[in-house]
Amino acid sequence: MDPLTRTWALLIALTAATTALAGVSGPLAVILVLLLAFLKARLILGRFLHLEAPPGWLAAFTLPVGFWLCLIGAGYVLTLR
Amino acid sequence: MKVDDLPGELILWILIASELAVFMAGVSVMVVLGLMDPEGFAQAQAQLDGRAAALNTVVLVTSGLFAARAERAAFAGQAAKARRGLLLAALGGVIFLIVKGVEYARDIQAGIGIESHPFFTFYYLLSGFHAAHVVAGVVVLLLVACRAQPEPVQAGAMFWHMVDLVWVLILPAIWLIW
Repeated sequence: MDPLTRTWALLIALTAATTALAGVSGPLAVILVLLLAFLKARLILGRFLHLEAPPGWLAAFTLPVGFWLCLIGAGYVLTLR
Repeated sequence: MKVDDLPGELILWILIASELAVFMAGVSVMVVLGLMDPEGFAQAQAQLDGRAAALNTVVLVTSGLFAARAERAAFAGQAAKARRGLLLAALGGVIFLIVKGVEYARDIQAGIGIESHPFFTFYYLLSGFHAAHVVAGVVVLLLVACRAQPEPVQAGAMFWHMVDLVWVLILPAIWLIW
């Protein structure tokens, strides 16, 4: 399969997984939704925006995004306690 | 890690980083308010139609594929193919805006306004600001499609992928986590 089409198929699969989780409540579902958002963002940055090729730049963008999503997840879980 | 290694124009990466920061800041404020009123946010979110958001994600991601293919075709010297890809990507943007418009109309008919609840203030602000970027992106895609030269097509595609990227990051806070 063409690499761009494979990226698109992965993004659609991740979107389908996100949609399946939309009706589920609870901290695990929220963490999974945030993880899926991170994976989608990583695919767009790495494949569509070509950040997989230059060394270091994919991490430079995905680490802050991942940290931010972790903060949202942590805040949500702590609020439940 | 060198700045020269980045694909495309540096100014576009500055734009992408800035836009990400702006939307992440907006979502962060929304989440902090939501953590102080999780029940209110959950009740407000339950009034939204998540199907439209899911459909729009598929539309935007597919549109991103066409933009990526257009960029590849432009660098391969296939201007006609690049132009076709850009027009399909722009069409995706128009479909996104139509779905968004239908969703807003349904919300407004249901009595959901920007001041109905803090959740809806951020719902309209974040999704509306994003929709404004979609409008700008469609215009950019159409402009670069005129000549379909490699560098402008790459710039247009990068802008479009940024719109896609922002969408997948604002999605959880608005439609999913409460």
